[in-house]
Amino acid sequence: MAKVLRFRFTRGPQLKYLSHLDVLRVFERALRRSQLPVEYTQGFNPRMRIVFGLPMSTGLTSEAEYADIVLQKDVTCDDFVSILNENMPAGMEILEAVELTGQDNIMKQIEAALYSIIIETDKSEDEINSMISEIFSQDELKVMKRTKRGVRPVNIRPLIYKLEAVEKGNNVFELIAFVSAGLDNNLRADLLMEAIIEKYDFNVKILSIHRKALYTKDSNGWKDPFEVSDGERCNN
Amino acid sequence: MRINLSDDILLNVKKPAKYTGNEWNMVRKNPEDVDVRFAFCFPDDYEIGMSHLGMKILYHILNKREDTYCERVFAPWTDMEEKLRKNNIPLFSLETYTPLSEFDMVGFTLQYEMSYTNILNMLDLGGIPVLAKDRKDKMPFVLAGGPCAVNPEPLADFIDFFVIGEGEEVTNEIIDEYKVWKSSGESREEFLIRIAKIEGIYVPGFYDVDYNEDGTVKSITPNREGVPSRVKRRIIEDLDKVDFPEDIIVPYVGTVHDRIMLEIFRGCIRGCRFCQAGFIYRPLRERSYEKLLDIAKKSVEKTGYEEISLVSLSTSDYSKLPELCNNLIEYTEEEKVNLSLPSLRLDNFSLQLMEKASKVRKSGLTFAPEAGSQRLRDVINKGITEEDLFNSVKIAVAGGWNSVKLYFMMGLPTETMEDVEAIGELGIKLLDQCRDIPNGKSLKITLSTSCFVPKPFTPFQWEPMDEMEKLMEKQLHLKNTIRKHRKITYNYHDAKLSMLEAVLARGDRRTGQVLYTAWKKGCKFDGWAEFFDFNKWMEAFEECGLDPEFYANRRRSFSEVLPWDHINIGVTKRFLQKECEKAYKGEVTRNCSENCSFCGAQGYKTGICFSEQRSDQKNG
Repeated sequence: MAKVLRFRFTRGPQLKYLSHLDVLRVFERALRRSQLPVEYTQGFNPRMRIVFGLPMSTGLTSEAEYADIVLQKDVTCDDFVSILNENMPAGMEILEAVELTGQDNIMKQIEAALYSIIIETDKSEDEINSMISEIFSQDELKVMKRTKRGVRPVNIRPLIYKLEAVEKGNNVFELIAFVSAGLDNNLRADLLMEAIIEKYDFNVKILSIHRKALYTKDSNGWKDPFEVSDGERCNN
Repeated sequence: MRINLSDDILLNVKKPAKYTGNEWNMVRKNPEDVDVRFAFCFPDDYEIGMSHLGMKILYHILNKREDTYCERVFAPWTDMEEKLRKNNIPLFSLETYTPLSEFDMVGFTLQYEMSYTNILNMLDLGGIPVLAKDRKDKMPFVLAGGPCAVNPEPLADFIDFFVIGEGEEVTNEIIDEYKVWKSSGESREEFLIRIAKIEGIYVPGFYDVDYNEDGTVKSITPNREGVPSRVKRRIIEDLDKVDFPEDIIVPYVGTVHDRIMLEIFRGCIRGCRFCQAGFIYRPLRERSYEKLLDIAKKSVEKTGYEEISLVSLSTSDYSKLPELCNNLIEYTEEEKVNLSLPSLRLDNFSLQLMEKASKVRKSGLTFAPEAGSQRLRDVINKGITEEDLFNSVKIAVAGGWNSVKLYFMMGLPTETMEDVEAIGELGIKLLDQCRDIPNGKSLKITLSTSCFVPKPFTPFQWEPMDEMEKLMEKQLHLKNTIRKHRKITYNYHDAKLSMLEAVLARGDRRTGQVLYTAWKKGCKFDGWAEFFDFNKWMEAFEECGLDPEFYANRRRSFSEVLPWDHINIGVTKRFLQKECEKAYKGEVTRNCSENCSFCGAQGYKTGICFSEQRSDQKNG
């Protein structure tokens, strides 16, 4: 019996220079090494049936990447997590897995992301907070975005749900950004920063960008991608 | 010292994962625990270097030793080099981020002449004096090996010693000797004296070159005792008995050959007269198919790779090809691994194989007739007839392939304009031949010509290369021959780049100055069209008072002392001369499996030269 598992994984600093395509290859090869019974697509050029939640741009670290995988045989979540981890390179770890039953795949479900952006700036906490208030007081925040049809201005203001600054000392702040993500209306953290820097002439150095969480949504609001499954959950 | 790379650097270069290492199967050791630290350097980009089988083999052999840690170093791409130089960061190894200058040994592989400037650049970036004579005690020894080392002379000023031939065994002998030397407290030169006694090692500083008044080499003689007057190429007698890497590094970044490479044999039986590889790897030695199957399975298990490729100079010549392929296909189908079978001669058997093995789109097939006319194909001893080609292409077209690429060389010895036209005519005839077979009307043909570059240790080593103008004229002529045929496309190589390759391939020790001068002027990555700067090279020749045409376009007499005469690759100069004379007469030479021509390689007493004896032994 085929079985679908959803799993969450991390990407540490040592692997943050990989592109999304590189990450796909890491998984395909780790899965082949693991000899887990992965299901393949039918047809001329069979591919592993695995879908990733949200592409990750080069430079990002994360504690909340998700993927759905179809297995040919019943494998417990525990076994899946531990066997795959033995075959993953250092810097990428499977944290937990859950069995999925009759759901859309993860790529279609992701609708928001939570980022922690560490910055260094000569601005004070008050200045940053008033800048954030100003962003939310307006309807528009435009930035040039590279799309399939060339570089064009887009309004990203509706895609920013929450933005907070926490002072860390020595001119370092953590920006916590809760933004729209997924197939439609994805707002990348670096594009958000670009927009703010541009509009507010914000003298800032981005030290790191880290993805803390991804969310799906239903009638009751935002949900952890594991919550939408009734299946049994396990973790590493 | 461990190099630290900031995000300021890494997030502002293309494909930063080329510089961060940590790939699956990367060997991890504590440098404190080893006696010898070896930097294996590939003088080109990571994506090229990580595709190189020789590096994987030697990385494995060296790291199997507990006393040695072999690490990898590649030429940084120009964006990265700029950042390294600007921030005063030396070139470093991917395993431990150690500067090149802190290694005991720094070894370069010489795969193609146009990578030579990158060697100079990497030494400089790594904080090692570029000229061998400037290196002092406590500095690394710089060595080089690989196919281009058969004529080491253009690099003689930069390399402390060369390894001629296959490295699996001799590398261990070098390391053993290094350990003895290191604990002895002897001078730098003493080490070179020690290893000059090892078969296959060439220390250029121990040889003097004298020149005649006309600029040709007069003599190459050892300048101290105990150094052989000729250096003999090393080979591995039995491939089954030498380690082959199964736990190869799996890169994150896509590389040119991003797959398991299964080396099925070394050497080639064919003896095409232009082909250096056909002579410098003799005699042909096979791995047993049982061993290959075992390597294939273990490699997939240890790497997770999705593709296996057979590697050799001519897949079809493997004696147990059906056994190997049938077993391999059974395994790869089960494991959903792709099998690619390059350089097959196309007949019904190989077509079936390809159908079974590769489930890829039937797009392009390539053939290499190398010359357009039968006369010229006989001259170069390319044992393929027009009929062979027609039959192969018909099989392919009927089997669903609709685009065929044909490779040729332009400027081959004795070539006339008729031979050049024959390339175009061959394409036209091929279209005619296929017109009436099913699917034949959709056939598209690409003709591709490279410029023939005479190489050392081939029957054409005495031949002049065509002048650039002549080559360009021929290219234009062929273009006109096929102008009216819309189903034929024509591509050709840059004659300027080939001309420079010809100089370095047959250069003597003096060409090292040109190399140095060109590098000083900023030449690097010469094999990449976007960086190749012909004018800078010409300036370098001018400044060094050397004429590139003397090296590229001059006919040598058979009696001339060649700059590589002190290297003994096994095949004799006498045999090569005989082959050259046969070429002029259009006489072909039978291949090694049909008949022994006593080329000299039988002196190694192994491989195809003694295959009958071997099978006798098995039966007995």
